This record gives sequence, C-alpha cells and structure tokens, in this order.
Amino acid sequence: MSIATGAIRGLQEVARDPGSWWRRSKGSVELWANLIVLGWALVFMLWRGGGFAITVGSVFAIWAVLAVSLNLVVGYTGLLSVGHIGFFGIGAYAMAVLTSSASYEQLRTEAIPTFGWPFFAALPISVVLAGLVALVVGVAFNRFRDDIYVLVSFGFAVIAFTTFLSWRNLTRGAFGIHQVARPAIGPLVFDGELEFLALLLVFLGLVVLISWLIVTSSFGRVLTAIREDEEAIEVFGYRTTHYKLAIWVISAMMAGLAGALLASWSTFIDPNSFVLLESVLLVSIVILGGLASIWGSLLGALAFVMLEEGMRFVPFLPSEFIGQIRQMILGILLVLLMLFRPQGLVGRFKL
Amino acid sequence: MSLAQLSGFMLGSLLRLREHQSRLLATALAVAVVAYIGWKIVQSPDQALQFAFNGLAVGAVYALLAMGFTLVYSTVWFFDLYYGAAAAIGAYGVFYLRSHDVLGGQYAVNSGPVNVLFAVVTAGVAAWALHVLLYRRLLRRVSPKALLVVGGLLATAIGVYTGLVLANPAELHLVLSPLVALLVAGVAYWGLGHAYRQLVDSTGRRPIAAIAAAAIVLGAFVAVLVANTPSLGLYLSWGVACLLSGTVSLALYRGLYVTMRERANSPLIMLVASLGILLAITAFITIVFRSAPRPLPDTFGSEPWTIGGANIKGFNVFAIGLALAGFSILLFMVKKTAFGKAVRAIGDDEEVAKVVGINTTVIIAIVFFIGAVYAALAGLVSGHDTAIQPRMGLLLLLKGWIASVVGGIGSLYGAIVGGFALGMLEQFGIWDLAGEWRDVISFIVLIVFLSFWPQGLIPRK
Repeated sequence: MSIATGAIRGLQEVARDPGSWWRRSKGSVELWANLIVLGWALVFMLWRGGGFAITVGSVFAIWAVLAVSLNLVVGYTGLLSVGHIGFFGIGAYAMAVLTSSASYEQLRTEAIPTFGWPFFAALPISVVLAGLVALVVGVAFNRFRDDIYVLVSFGFAVIAFTTFLSWRNLTRGAFGIHQVARPAIGPLVFDGELEFLALLLVFLGLVVLISWLIVTSSFGRVLTAIREDEEAIEVFGYRTTHYKLAIWVISAMMAGLAGALLASWSTFIDPNSFVLLESVLLVSIVILGGLASIWGSLLGALAFVMLEEGMRFVPFLPSEFIGQIRQMILGILLVLLMLFRPQGLVGRFKL
Repeated sequence: MSLAQLSGFMLGSLLRLREHQSRLLATALAVAVVAYIGWKIVQSPDQALQFAFNGLAVGAVYALLAMGFTLVYSTVWFFDLYYGAAAAIGAYGVFYLRSHDVLGGQYAVNSGPVNVLFAVVTAGVAAWALHVLLYRRLLRRVSPKALLVVGGLLATAIGVYTGLVLANPAELHLVLSPLVALLVAGVAYWGLGHAYRQLVDSTGRRPIAAIAAAAIVLGAFVAVLVANTPSLGLYLSWGVACLLSGTVSLALYRGLYVTMRERANSPLIMLVASLGILLAITAFITIVFRSAPRPLPDTFGSEPWTIGGANIKGFNVFAIGLALAGFSILLFMVKKTAFGKAVRAIGDDEEVAKVVGINTTVIIAIVFFIGAVYAALAGLVSGHDTAIQPRMGLLLLLKGWIASVVGGIGSLYGAIVGGFALGMLEQFGIWDLAGEWRDVISFIVLIVFLSFWPQGLIPRK
C-alpha cells in the first residue's frame, strides 16, 4: 500500500522535524486539493446531519465507481472515452428490466416483459452484458486514436441513449421503468438507505481494490507503457490491442455495475440519466480528480457531488439553475485545469 | 491477463483484418447500401424524392457546419468544440433579438446583464483588433498616448453600440442603420475605386473626393431605406447573431487559445479545454433561455412547394443556396486570395509560416471568426427549420464533425460533399425506422467510414 507507507514515512518525518511538513507542502496542489475537498465534505456532513450524509454518500459511491472505471481507460491507455455513460446505462437497464415487478397494464403504454428476478441474480447479468457490449464496441473502435476516438466514443453514447429512448418494447422509452428491486440476501433486505449505503460502499471498495490490483500488476505496467509509447511496447512483443481491449471491457463491466446499483438505489430509471452531457460531466470528473490515479477519481467524484450539494445552500440561487451552474463551473474548471494543471488535481499523467 | 488472452483468441482474426479483406468488406457494404437505396427508389419514387429533398435540406446545414469546422481544423489542427456553442449562439442570438416576435412575445427575453456582458466582450475584442491591426502602423505618425486614448474610446464606443443594439431588439432597423450605412459606404468606396482603376484610368490618381462623396451618398441612401423598413429586423438579426458568435470566438481565441497553444500544443488538451467552454456556454444559454425548445419567428418560404409529388419548403431551398454560396465564397478565399495562401501555409507548418513573415495571430483569428460565422449560420438555419434548444450545440457540432470526417478531413470540397452525403444517408436510413434514430445512423455512417475509408470521400491533397 503505497499510500499507507507514504503516510507512515511522512508522519515519521514530521515527528522528527515539525516545521518540515509545512515547508514542504504549502506549495503542493495535491495536498490542498485533498484538504479542501475532504474538509468541505466533512463540514457539510456534520452540519447537515446523518440523513444528508447517507444520501450524499450513496450518490458519491455511484459516481465514484463510474469515475474509477473510466479512469482505468483514460488514465492507463490514454484513450479519452466520452461514451462511458452508455455502459452505465446498459447496466442500469439490464437491472431494471430483469428485476422490475411493476405491472404496466394500467398505464397507457405498451406492456414490457417483467421478469421479477432478485437483485443478486440480475447483477451478474447486467455486468456481463455491459462487458459483452464493450467487447463488440472495443473491437470496432480498436483502430482509432486521440481525437477521432473522442468522436466515435461520443457516437457510442448517442447510440446508447437513442436505444434507451426509442426501444420502447424493452425500456418503455421516456416513461422509464419503476419498481426496480432492492437487493436482498435471504431474510436480509437492503431496504433502508443506510443499509444500501453500506452495500454501495462495499461495492465501491471492491471496485477500488480490483482497480488497484490491476494498476499495480504487470498488466497495469504494460498499460502504462502503452499510454506512454504504444509502438515501443509493441516492439517488445506485446499485443497492445488485446491489452487495451481487456481493460476497456473490465472498465465497462465496472460501469455496468455502477448502473445496476443506480437502478436499484433509485428504484426508477429513465433515459434522462444517460444523456450525452452526463457523460461529458463524468469525463470532467475524471480529469478534475486526476488521470491515472484511483484516489484522484474518488476525490473528483466527491468534489462533484459536494459541488452540487453545496450549491443548494447558496442563498438567492434558484434551485432549477443548480445543475446548470454546476455544469458551468465544471466547464470553467476544465479550461483552467488544461491551462495550469493538465494532470488534474492529484493525477500523474498529462493528456 | 487471462482475459486478455481469451479475448485475443476469440477476436484475433477480427482485429487483424488483412488489407484486401477490409476492402472487400467495404465494397460489399457500399454495394448493399446502394442496392437498398435503389430498391427503395424503385419501390416508391415519390417517397424517395421526398426523402431526397429532406436529405438536401438537412445536408445544407451539415455542409455549412462542416465547411467552417474543416477550415478551422485544417489551420490549427485541433478539433475546436467551441464550434457547437457558436452554432447555438447563432440560433439563440436570433431568438434573443426576435423573441418579442415569437408566439406573441410570451417567451420574450432581454436581460441587462447579458447585454452588458456582450458589450464588454465586444469592446475587448474591438480593442484587441484595433491594437493588432492599426497600432504599429500609426505609431510612427501619432504619439502612443493619443493612440491609446483614441483606440480605447473607439473600442468603448463599439461596446456601447453593441449593448444598445442588444437592448433594443424591436428597433433593430433603426439602431443598425448607421452600421449598415458605414458598411455600404466602405464597400462602395472600395468597389468604386477598384472599378475606376479597371475601367477608366489605371495609372493616374483616383478622384478620391468624388468617389468618397458617391460612397457616402449611397451609404446614407441605404441607411434611410433600412431605417424605414421594420420588416428587415429578422435579417438584420441574422447578421448580428453571426457577428456575435464570431466575436465570442475571437475573444476565446485571444483570451485562451493563444496562451494555451504556447504552453502545450497538444490536440487533446485543446480539445478538452474547448469541451469545457462548450459545457459552460451551453449552461449559460440554458440559464438565460431555459432548457425547453423554442421556435424561431416565421421567415419567408415556410409554405411548402410541390415538385414532382414531393414537398420542399422555400426556406430549405434558400438554405441549400446559402450552403452553395458559402462554399463558393470560402473556396474563393482559400484558393484565390493572399489570405487563403497564408491559411494554407499555416496549415502546412505554422512555425515556418511565422518565419516567412505571415502574421499568424491575425490570420488564425480571422479563420476562427469565419468558422464561427459559418457555425452560427448553420445554427440559425436549423433553428428556423425546426426549433432551438440549448443542447442543439453539441449535436450540431457532432454532425459537422462527422460530415467533415466523412467528406475527408481538412478538405473543403470534402466538407460540402460530406455534408450533403451525410444528410442524404441519414434521411434514407430512417426510411424504415422512426425519425429518432437519425443520430444513430449518422454515427454508424461515421464508424463505417472511419473503419474502411479513413481518408474520407475527397481526401485533402
């Protein structure tokens, strides 16, 4: 654990010479970013109390899973994918269609099939489905690079969104799907918000652990080498296409997991959660937090969620503008980051 | 690792298509598409004509977008995503100036802060433009202090004038008539002088006083004419919207892109930064105008014409004409003028262009301005054709981007051909599907083109 050893070494040094900590870190953007975001989150939680913390924590956990998964692609292969929201949506819709128990006979829309599966049976299906779609998409996209990759990944997001909106026999289009199942293990039903938050955090921990194992393994080192110089690593006999495809599929499966969790958490989904702009926001979270850094993605997701929640308490700010102002702030932040800190707050890789 | 190997075994053959296999696949695909469209045409020619007309109408917008996009791209070599916001600014600029005219004015928007913001931006851009264009030249004759004062006053005046125009949308024909007079007089002065050289006397001195007097009279006449024609308001608002979009583009170029390109000239960094700008401007537009779709006021030619059993709106014919005219103008500028030579030189190698004495900053600024004007035109044409909404910018941007890739990136002929081809393919593609799948079709077209014809229909030479 590089973070833990780093922290211990840092503490030892501070114990030896108390002034050194301040001298060394007052100019460090990383430290201040960490302090400000974490402190802000902590103050808010303490001020608003438990219920608020549970809601914010759940939203944060879902965004964090998404951000960590996208960072595996953007940070470790250098391919700027703007279409990740598509996999998120595939996971969510798979979960919703498979577990929804609502009968739509009363409503004036076409009946969609209801399966009524339990959560834990549908979860692997939605994850694997996202992975399979990613496999096909990855094969189709494997020859694209840089800015053309951005364009085609925009395309994937648009195609996914249109499918969610227009394949009405399966997704009920703009009406959305209600009564998505909450997870249950035998008699233990994750019905309350607190239990669900615990489950979300477990999954977040799992995703972070897997990502950490990947990026510290030899597999991760090959990926880093691909990012730095793809032709050079090809010369050494690595099939870079396969590595990129593998990490792409893994990342998409994580995004699918995030989608499934979202569907179950909110028990209702409609295509509006998967529009192109959300995808762009996700990319800006990852870049804001820092590329090629798992902690950066967590921090970026936290900053993003706290930005929205924090703005709810700004006086004279109409609530309908919150989303727009957040988008504006993120846009301006992206510009500033590209100007002054292209690696993001705590990142290790510049675009 | 094992997953990588597994996927490798399963898909290895797909990933490493041989050159001739890929070409065979592409040819088969092209034949299939042509056969499908041909079969459709034979099946119901009337309907096919209708889809072709729709395709041309949509294609005109895409062609306009692709032309500006490709011009900017082939000069600075990064994808400027502000372009989508420029289209949205064009459409919403028209709406802002004509909102009292739309649906009885129930969505009328005119906010002081927005006017002030644009006034400040325009004043800044004007100050920069004056500085770049005139400061050095005049420095020999006039003292720098006097220049600064006069230039500052002039820029402030331009800013205040912009604010006035935006604050009085109902009297656009009155407020803008001095500007029109100035423009007409300027063009007339240049044109008359040129004609005198060509037709009367090519060596001696021109009768400057007489030419200037004629130009001023002509300008005044046109100004009076404009001031007495309130119905010109809509068309004047088109001009203002295009200028505003261009001004914002210049402000971004000077305020941001110049610095960024000096720091790190990486296409991906520029792309992400311009994505941030697109996000911010889209949010700004949503805050000012709300997210619901809005109509633009009626213009000429909203009555459909019937040609051979199919309908096309007069406005769409105008849009197609606009696209062709825009193409001709751009082609003339790039191929025949000194400006075009400079643009191509910068596109080939910016450093060398700078060394041989091309003022790259000014030329690139003009390119950004022209690009934003084309985007704004496309935005307002598509707005008049359907409706406007804040997120239209991103979609129009993507369509323009796709059209320029399909046509051949960096090639002007490719841009117009790609635009119309994309429009046609989109419309024929949704024949058997619902209209909401058209974005999907255009992206599938894009991916097919990138996979099999990455250089596009008409590659850049």
